[in-house]
Amino acid sequence: MTKVSPTAVINGLGSCLPPRVLTNDDVRRRGVLDTSDAWIRSRTGIARRRAADDDISTGDLAVAAGRAAQESAAARADLVLVATTTPDRRCPATAPEVADRLGLGTVPAFDLSAVCSGFLYGLVVATALIRTGVCTRPLVIGAETYSRIIDPLDRDTAVIFGDGAGAVLLRAGDRAEPGALAGTDWGADGTGADLIAITAGGARQPDPAHRMSREERYFRMRGREVYGQAVRRMTESSRAVLAKAGWPPASVGAFIGHQANQRILDSVADRVGIPPRHCYGNLHDVGNTAAASIPLALADTAAHRRVRPGTPTLLTAFGGGLTWASAAMTWPAARPCDRPPEPRATGSTASPTARSTHRRNPSWPLSTTTS
Amino acid sequence: MAAVYDHLVTVLTDKFEVDAEEIRPDMTLAGLELDSLAIVELYVTLQEHWGVPLAEDDSAADLTVEQVAQAVTAQLPAGDADRDGAPR
Repeated sequence: MTKVSPTAVINGLGSCLPPRVLTNDDVRRRGVLDTSDAWIRSRTGIARRRAADDDISTGDLAVAAGRAAQESAAARADLVLVATTTPDRRCPATAPEVADRLGLGTVPAFDLSAVCSGFLYGLVVATALIRTGVCTRPLVIGAETYSRIIDPLDRDTAVIFGDGAGAVLLRAGDRAEPGALAGTDWGADGTGADLIAITAGGARQPDPAHRMSREERYFRMRGREVYGQAVRRMTESSRAVLAKAGWPPASVGAFIGHQANQRILDSVADRVGIPPRHCYGNLHDVGNTAAASIPLALADTAAHRRVRPGTPTLLTAFGGGLTWASAAMTWPAARPCDRPPEPRATGSTASPTARSTHRRNPSWPLSTTTS
Repeated sequence: MAAVYDHLVTVLTDKFEVDAEEIRPDMTLAGLELDSLAIVELYVTLQEHWGVPLAEDDSAADLTVEQVAQAVTAQLPAGDADRDGAPR
């Protein structure tokens, strides 16, 4: 009989970044872009990002991050949810194969498509599944290979996005525990569906053999409108989730927003009333990794032990759809684990060498920057 | 209009750290060294303060301070532009 427990608790944190680093100058040269390292840094806060090699897919990153989260929790998932904009195939979903490669047998597994809000959408769903007793240990993975959908010649997006995957393993638990979800908020506004989009490749314009223009084929974003929407929606959603949790903004000790753009993050934090010293993230080093950004920032911040477990924490995200979501939780006690990508050719349920991440371990790949 | 203009000057000096002496009605936002994201942030700030819809994609670097103030004023119900009580 399934026991209905009061809330979800983050029990494990995992991450996976492809090893290849692209600096701003690398991106500029590749696309012959009219930009500079200084321009990109001042507009976005991004210095470098990761790019998956051709033989590494979203699923390969997801498997590694999921395995790392399970290792961090020392527990196995009973449901796998992969939030992604860049699934391995249009059909089927990426999650079932990820679950299989993790050796999880026939657990339920599905993808969730909410672009950059995908991870927090997944966290809302998984929390609800725990609260209703549908599952007890859901694995929520945000995994992306935006390098496959970005136009290297488009200055507006080529400099922003990076590849990677992050994951959390949840369990049923008590609200007083570190890592407990205290409240969630989410929403969508389809009137803005065109602001962040890939035009072709879906049912509306499916023919992949048809000659497509760059505009149709690649991811496009209308930057100015997205900025305004992102600031407004994340601010409102943050205020809403704090109200639901009964937390005044001044009580928040850690804020991680979707690592989209430093200026947007600063604007949201300022409006919500979160001082810069409580803002965490790794945008500077990994860029915008879409659905992977919040779990990657959580794992990186936790690996550096920058936040005391139990600290009231606010997460918020905004993405294509338009979609947005927020979560109020306490900072988890889990020690994150990081793993290299697991290519399918060599990847199986066999486990490659893990990199356990402790404070004294110099192998943690990122330096955290406060956002 | 005067209240909107005065508020705009306050936002430019306080939030965007523009030197007050540089701000004139005919000065463009680009001339005040606001980049594209700062201009969108300015629009979001004005929308919040005045409760008016401004299209962010209408924001542009070649708009003057006076034109931005007019864009806000045009959206306000008559008489609201001086609701902060700023001198005319």
